[in-house]
Amino acid sequence: MKRRLMTALMLCCSFAILAQSKQTKDETIVFTPQWTAQAQFAGYYVAEQRGFYREAGLDVKIEHPSVTQPAMSRLRKNMCQATTLMLCQALEIVNEGFPLVNILQTSMNNSLVIVSAHGKDPLTQKGARVGIWSVGFGQMAMCMNNKEHLNYQWVPFAQNVNLFVSGALDATLAMSYNEYYQLVQAGVKMTDKNVYRFCDHGYNVQEDGVYMTRDYYAKHQEQARRFAQASRKGWEWAAQHPEETLDIVMQYVEKNHIATNRVMQRLMLKEVLRLQVDRESKKREFRLRPDMVRQASRLMAENQMLSREVTYEELVSEK
Amino acid sequence: MNSIINHIRRKLSIKVSLWVVLFAGIIFNVALGFLFYQAREAVHKEAINRATQTLDNTSLRVESILNRVEVATNMTKWLVQRHPDVADSMFVYSRSMLQNNPDFYNCSIAFEPYYFKDKGRYFSAYTKHIGDSIRTIQGGSDYYQYFFADWYLMPQLLEKPCWTEPYMDLDVATNTSEMVTSYCQTIKDNTGQMIGVINTSLSINWLSHTISAVKPYPNSYSIMIGRGGTYFVHPDTTKITRQTIFTQTIEQPDTALTALGYAMQRGEEGMKKMLVDGKHCYVFYKPLGKTGCSMAIVCPESDIFGGFDRLRYNVRAIVICGLLLMLFFFIQIITRELKPLRRLAKEAETIASGQFDAQLPELKRIDEIGQLSHSFADMQNSLVRHIEELKDTTAEKASIERDLRIASGIQMAMIPKVYPPYPERDDIDIYGQLVSAKEVGGDLFDFFIRDEKLFFCIGDVSGKGVPAALVMAVTRALFRSIAAHEAMPNHIVTELNEALADTNESNMFVTFFAGVLDMPTGRMRYCNAGHDVPMLVGSGVGLLPCDPNIPIGVMNGWKFSLQEATIDPQTTIFLYTDGLTEAENAEHAQFQEKRILDVIRKTQNTPKQLIEIMTNAVHQFVGEAEQSDDLTMLALQYKHQKPNIRYQRSITLPNDVQTIPKLAEFTDTVCEAAEFDMGTSMKMNLAIEEAVVNVMNYAYPKGTKGTVSIDATISDEGLKFIISDNGKPFDPTAKAEVDTSLSAEERGIGGLGIHLIRQIMDSINYEYVDGRNVLTLLKRLPVSS
Repeated sequence: MKRRLMTALMLCCSFAILAQSKQTKDETIVFTPQWTAQAQFAGYYVAEQRGFYREAGLDVKIEHPSVTQPAMSRLRKNMCQATTLMLCQALEIVNEGFPLVNILQTSMNNSLVIVSAHGKDPLTQKGARVGIWSVGFGQMAMCMNNKEHLNYQWVPFAQNVNLFVSGALDATLAMSYNEYYQLVQAGVKMTDKNVYRFCDHGYNVQEDGVYMTRDYYAKHQEQARRFAQASRKGWEWAAQHPEETLDIVMQYVEKNHIATNRVMQRLMLKEVLRLQVDRESKKREFRLRPDMVRQASRLMAENQMLSREVTYEELVSEK
Repeated sequence: MNSIINHIRRKLSIKVSLWVVLFAGIIFNVALGFLFYQAREAVHKEAINRATQTLDNTSLRVESILNRVEVATNMTKWLVQRHPDVADSMFVYSRSMLQNNPDFYNCSIAFEPYYFKDKGRYFSAYTKHIGDSIRTIQGGSDYYQYFFADWYLMPQLLEKPCWTEPYMDLDVATNTSEMVTSYCQTIKDNTGQMIGVINTSLSINWLSHTISAVKPYPNSYSIMIGRGGTYFVHPDTTKITRQTIFTQTIEQPDTALTALGYAMQRGEEGMKKMLVDGKHCYVFYKPLGKTGCSMAIVCPESDIFGGFDRLRYNVRAIVICGLLLMLFFFIQIITRELKPLRRLAKEAETIASGQFDAQLPELKRIDEIGQLSHSFADMQNSLVRHIEELKDTTAEKASIERDLRIASGIQMAMIPKVYPPYPERDDIDIYGQLVSAKEVGGDLFDFFIRDEKLFFCIGDVSGKGVPAALVMAVTRALFRSIAAHEAMPNHIVTELNEALADTNESNMFVTFFAGVLDMPTGRMRYCNAGHDVPMLVGSGVGLLPCDPNIPIGVMNGWKFSLQEATIDPQTTIFLYTDGLTEAENAEHAQFQEKRILDVIRKTQNTPKQLIEIMTNAVHQFVGEAEQSDDLTMLALQYKHQKPNIRYQRSITLPNDVQTIPKLAEFTDTVCEAAEFDMGTSMKMNLAIEEAVVNVMNYAYPKGTKGTVSIDATISDEGLKFIISDNGKPFDPTAKAEVDTSLSAEERGIGGLGIHLIRQIMDSINYEYVDGRNVLTLLKRLPVSS
């Protein structure tokens, strides 16, 4: 009697699982990292390659943005269901009236730096011509510029570090995991003097997180949760297996014909993983910190980048 | 290893060959080293020239096209600035640029946002080759906001025309991309306000092909980097655009590569020697016009110096082989040349073993070995001859030695050597000793008793050996012969001097001491001719006073002085030669008189003991040192005791022969008292008469009166007659013995009388004392039955 009951239960469970997987297969999640293939997105590549998404019963497709289809544009057009965004970008978008949900926060620290030429201290270069990404990312730098009354002349650029290297700029903004190393690779000498790290000066605001539109999230909460969980697993695995992760990253790099190299990607991975460790708890927390959201929101609002303060609650799932 | 070294040390041929090859090797090494150094420098210089030339050529080719781009762009810009208001003209300008320059990649004339109000935010006249055709479109969109492109920003920021860093130009329409570099400059309106940027691009492919084709050496390759160090040309295509020259230095610091990167970034031109992928390479670099790019040619050292190194290895191999061959042949040649030497050495060993007639190899060579062989043969002959001579000489020497031994024996025989010499006498004890430094010596001593007088002498001939021995023999013989008839030592010495000085051609001399001791009285007359002063050892020790006479044999006609002394009984006269005083020890200290006196003072012994003690003292002093001179000592101890007179009678007669009967009576009486038999008494009477008559006849000058006293005593000694007178001194004993072979006429007066007296009496003694002639005749008492 007991045995029959067990068999019946097992059958029920099997059906349930089968039914669920069928359902998810129909609902493919397209995930678009906000930049070209690089170690910044290692955790997601790992999750895909190691089958973490599949194990979570998800059909995840990673599609990188293109010139004509930047990440946010894809999200707006529902060409993808999840993308990575910097917290400041997310605040701007939410402020614009496009509700987003942060389903996974990977960055726990700010990576923004200013690299100044000729070994000069960026804080002493008033009115300097400073390169900034034409697509954003420089919010904290602008806040700092206003606060310190540096009167930087912002030069938006599309490409990477060439303007700075060719001497057309006095300083440039850089991500400590990407442009910073590109500059090093271009022969720029980094010292404590010519590098200004925002995280050390009261601007330690979180960056990369995975966002979905609130609409989509509302309908696919379970999927979003599992996607976040599998992605987190991917990052944790990456932290434990950096060289194997690098192999995976390089596969994506090659596939997307990205002009980079293993050395750069190794440095990037190491730095990205470092930025994921919370300064206070010394742990990979994978959570949005309300204090940081508040700080970023307040700073951006004060500097007229936001029309209002966007709250932590507006970003997280539990509204 | 040691055995090899030993083998080499034993083989002259190998040693010499090794030295020669060593020196040849050093000379070759130095010469070739210098040559190689010079050649290498030349190759090095040539390589630099070649690479520099290649770089210059490439640079020129690149620059020529860059110049065309710049000139064309400038002209178009001029046109644009003349008609800045007509948007559509821009398409024409842009298009004609590519039409006129088919090798340009694209050209865009882009304007500031909303410059042409009717054209919207973006206006860029963009022309590009599509295959063989040219397509002109309006560029710029929300997805391609050219305002943020490097080519648009750079000329503004730098405020001058410039070339951009190569970048990937993406054609959205065809979804193709091309690596290009753009020459761009700002377009200004009449007020000088920037209104846009004109940009002409060149495909990097063309540049890459041009630069990749540069290959001055088979394994050399070219690279090109941009301002940021990015590789745009590299043989490893995976590095192109993906890596910079600094990438690999991030994980593996490489100062040389870093330095090269910086130098190229700064647009410098030059050459560096460095390790590239583990190979020594020369890197020549030069900037490419104004593009900000820099190209470099990497030439492996093995390529540059490949031919040179092969030549060097070949030459080295040839030299080493040559040296080895040289070593081999030298060893062979020298071994062959030295072969006779080995034979000579073998023969020399045979000769050394005593086989002097060993057959030497006959060599017809005239070189040093030939000469050596001849010299060796000469040496062998000389050796044989010398050995023969040596044999003779040795035999001769043996003969001489034998003669010397005989001579020594003879010489020693001349020296009294029976002691005590007068065992029957109790008034004298004598001991003498002569030790020659050589087989034969020049010292002498002698003594004998005549007429109750002890004649003794000691002498030292100058020099040593046989000559001295001969002079010594002559001196001794002369002394004996002169003393036989002469009792005065000064006369004896004078005569000796005359005899020796006459024939002294070898300038030899003799220090000589002659003494005559009158036994009955102890009076001693002596003469010292330069000899060591004798010592008197009695109750005290003292030196016998001696006049300073010259040695004998030095000067003819020298008058030697006579000295006298009375020797007390129990006094020893100690005579010696300078061999005693001058005996030297190892430190060349001499024995000296002081030590002689010390020895004498410590002893009161017989002459023999005295000399033995003295000899021991000298030996002890001299030690191991060699005896340098003859050592001669003579000790005479005078022991005379007054006889116990039991009968005494005397008579004094005038010098008148008529009184002779009185004498006869006196003599008879005394003889009777002495219990002599008749015959003896008669003989004695005859002898006394002869002696007294002799005095009577000759002692006083004719016609003068004088007396003659005869004292007769009988003691244990015997019957003694003492005939004394104060006439002129006359020593009858000094007359030579009568040569009885002569006829009576031939004999001298008185000679026979003395002879008679000698025959009858046992001893005869003459003394001249206190102005009186004293003649003592002794006849021993008959042995009582």
